[in-house]
Amino acid sequence: MHATVLLAHPDPDSFAHALANRAVIGLRTAGWTVDLIDLDAIDYPGAATPDEWRAYPTAEPILDDVVRRHADLIRHTDALVFVYPTWWSSVPAVLKSWMERTLVPGVAFTLEGPKNRLVPQLTNLRYVVGITTYGSPWWYVKLVNDAGRRTISRTLGLLARGHASRRWLALYSLDSRSTQSRQKFLDRVERDMAALR
Amino acid sequence: MSRRVLLVFAHPSRDSLNGAVLEHAITGLDRGGHEVRIRDLYAENFSPRLTCAEKRGHLDAPETKPQLADDFADLRWCDVIVLVHPTWWGGQPAILKGWFDRVWASGVAWTLPDGASHIRPGLTNVRRIVTLATHGSPWRVNAVQGVPGRRIANRAMRAVCHPLCRTSWVALYAVDRVTDSRRRRFLRRVERRMTRL
Repeated sequence: MHATVLLAHPDPDSFAHALANRAVIGLRTAGWTVDLIDLDAIDYPGAATPDEWRAYPTAEPILDDVVRRHADLIRHTDALVFVYPTWWSSVPAVLKSWMERTLVPGVAFTLEGPKNRLVPQLTNLRYVVGITTYGSPWWYVKLVNDAGRRTISRTLGLLARGHASRRWLALYSLDSRSTQSRQKFLDRVERDMAALR
Repeated sequence: MSRRVLLVFAHPSRDSLNGAVLEHAITGLDRGGHEVRIRDLYAENFSPRLTCAEKRGHLDAPETKPQLADDFADLRWCDVIVLVHPTWWGGQPAILKGWFDRVWASGVAWTLPDGASHIRPGLTNVRRIVTLATHGSPWRVNAVQGVPGRRIANRAMRAVCHPLCRTSWVALYAVDRVTDSRRRRFLRRVERRMTRL
């Protein structure tokens, strides 16, 4: 079983990095092989380029070797795990950029027939997991918006054609949390990942 | 009434439907006698990734981020924000998400008083947010995805604007399939809406 963990936080000392590390430890304990992609560490571009936009509707929408490697990876992975801080109710730009560049026609879905019907291709995915922190309290997130969760759970869920089980692990009000409560969340992430079969 | 409009364009090419939307928006705004500032994020090579230093100093005063001084000035100057963009993965293109992540900063877009659980509005000068969006997929696919992009603009971003800030989402769906006359009608509608702000 193979898991791909996507991490999007610019600070290597961040809590998100600690979460990703614990998620990887948990997965390895359960016998998974894991690829961890730290988007900021590999200086991943924050936006799709004009050339990529022009290539999108063609038979060769991927122009970059890194993107090609990631596309191959997710076509064969059993679990996609997103680890990121929630900013403006959604994923950081670099993670959005990763979705736009990687989940292209031919990888995540194909368009078939005269009506360009969208056919999901990520049916290999058994788990779609989101691990995130919010600066805001739970009630504020629910009241205002939870777009990141919607993007990951619904859109990716759609691309896996409902085959994937979806997990959401979130810590709210991050800034006012004690060390102890952060520690508890780290333990929970490791435990939950170690329970994936 | 004449307005101060910040027009943000987030598409890789002006030679596109979005480019046409931008042109018609500008025509409409000129006709209405509005003052306009245009930010073309791709043309300016705007970097959408919040840097490690910006993240570490995310609660610091805006004066500590001179690289974003012009962007801050635009946000404080306007009373209407118009966003022009395609919808990718249910939401704003990464470059525009990055503009939110970096430019809607502490001390400009919001403040976090000592001991407060969530952020307080900083952009009380902004009384309207209008999005002029194109969607590749039909309306009902967007509904299933949970319209994360619309929620980011109309809820998360609006939450830090004037308490009576109005939002509108002016959109063309299934753009690859619509007829030329539908497209022209949409562009005329954009123009009209911009004149009458």
